[in-house]
Amino acid sequence: MSDNHQVHAESTEEGVVLRFEESIYPKDAVFGAAYTLLDRCFVHIDREDSKLLVKLRAKPGITLSADLLAGEFEAEALTQAWRRDIVRENQAWLESVTARALSGAAGPPGLDDLLEDDLGDLGDAFDDPLGIAVSWEEKYGKGEQADQPMKSSAAPSESSESSVPQESKPSSDEPEASDEQGEHS
Amino acid sequence: MTELRFRMSLYSSSALDRALEAFASLIDYERESRDEMEVIRLTARAGEDESWIAGEFANFVLGATVDGVDATRVEEA
Repeated sequence: MSDNHQVHAESTEEGVVLRFEESIYPKDAVFGAAYTLLDRCFVHIDREDSKLLVKLRAKPGITLSADLLAGEFEAEALTQAWRRDIVRENQAWLESVTARALSGAAGPPGLDDLLEDDLGDLGDAFDDPLGIAVSWEEKYGKGEQADQPMKSSAAPSESSESSVPQESKPSSDEPEASDEQGEHS
Repeated sequence: MTELRFRMSLYSSSALDRALEAFASLIDYERESRDEMEVIRLTARAGEDESWIAGEFANFVLGATVDGVDATRVEEA
């Protein structure tokens, strides 16, 4: 393995030994990377001074290449370390989302819960400057309510008759148009 | 007989216990604590490939250690 790599691989009679400074990768990342090799190798991890040793012995029918394994292990350890950093950074956010999802799954709050909630200062949230919340009777009175609909229903019919131009009225000369309308209706 | 040494600052003790329990029907073993190492001397029962079993045993301990670390993290969260 070249010196550019932080993981040094050495082929031995039993298999391959990967050796690297323990300070480079956290222990969790090393175990995570070793875990990905379990299907191909028998793996044993040990320590020698400040270095970690990962001893790999090929399973029957599998050929190990020291250089390839060192490169793969290095990449996987880096991936594992980064993944753990991402999880650590986002842990608070993930917990918050999970907690909200679980509280939502518990169903809507009861009346007691709502009454206990402190809504804080609502300001002018319940002001009604347009009088939308005022009832009809309160606005127009009961007596006017009865007359109002009749006037309003009579007015449109008069105005509609007067406003309809003569040309638009159906005539007996145009039976096809009336038939078409009948079909559509 | 095959001797396996597990450095307990790297491997978890409970992972080793789980491995011994899982392989109990396949091996006879002696366990010894020496400094910060746990030494397992295992002998495969008749008809079993001892080298293969020793390798799988070591893999099991590693896997259980990783699982244990993740489980601890979940419990802490």
